[in-house]
Amino acid sequence: MSGRPGRAARFILGALVLFLGVLLAARPTQAQDGSLEEQTREIAKHLNCPTCAGRNLADCPTDTCAQWKGEISTQLKAGRSAAQVTEYFIARFGPGVLQEPPREGGFLLAWIFPIVVFVGLIAAAFYVVRNSSRRGAPTAPAAATAADPYAVELERQVREEA
Amino acid sequence: MKRLPPLVIVAVGLVVGLLALFALGLAVAGQQGRRPESGTPAPAFTLVLYDEHRAGLPKTLTLADLRGKPVVLNFWASWCIPCRDEAPEFEAASRRYKDQVVFVGANWLEIEAAALPYLKQQGITYANGFDTQQQVARAYRITGVPETFFIDRNGILRQIETRPLTGADLDAAIQGLLK
Repeated sequence: MSGRPGRAARFILGALVLFLGVLLAARPTQAQDGSLEEQTREIAKHLNCPTCAGRNLADCPTDTCAQWKGEISTQLKAGRSAAQVTEYFIARFGPGVLQEPPREGGFLLAWIFPIVVFVGLIAAAFYVVRNSSRRGAPTAPAAATAADPYAVELERQVREEA
Repeated sequence: MKRLPPLVIVAVGLVVGLLALFALGLAVAGQQGRRPESGTPAPAFTLVLYDEHRAGLPKTLTLADLRGKPVVLNFWASWCIPCRDEAPEFEAASRRYKDQVVFVGANWLEIEAAALPYLKQQGITYANGFDTQQQVARAYRITGVPETFFIDRNGILRQIETRPLTGADLDAAIQGLLK
């Protein structure tokens, strides 16, 4: 194999590392400091409102959301960690309470599939750019025509007429 | 015939693959997500009853535990005004049919701090519990509250109501179950 596939592999690997880096950097952080209200809000930001589709718990003013936020505060006051409180809501209402799918089990597919598509597109783009640059490169005319008797004869006749 | 550029082939492949996955997902969701119909077996369920509202039933109640008796399964929430309106009717009916029908209330998406005071305020004495991870709500494909399912003694779903019910509605449906 030539050195090109190695470069391609390094390029794809680089893209993958960059993508994973962005993904990890975007991971939600759990507040451990701050007032009870801030901690409650931080946890609520990562949970869905149970009654308003797509809205996060922190920003939803409905009665049910107020109950849930009250429960978060109660549990924090009782000394439970942010992770434990989140686990309580998942155990009680299912993983659908999370704003983002968990990065484990079958839910990993939701995270991995876009990466696979992204890497596939990068690889396809790399392949196309490489091929088009090869096609555009100047060729050796003598070597090409020498192998073709028709071209050789044609060139001879043209030279004679000139 | 002119060959398509590889990028186009890859892009078309990805789009077709995504559409195929989407269609598969819809098909699976359609199979799993069909609302149960009257005359078909009621979906099995497990409900964790509140300690204060077990009404002599097991803490972890399953539909199989109730086989042999008609069941009235009602989904509710404390913030739901129509649920509040129909709650006294359900309590009265549960007393009228005390030894003939089992009434079961399933709270929808609430914590005890909201559900228990509501049950106390409404004077509800029949079995009530919470729906862990919304398994019962999903099995019955509820779209909101209140919703009520009438299940006969053989576990067959006989009637589905997605509106608040009156005492007369309950009597009519229960008479159908007791035939």
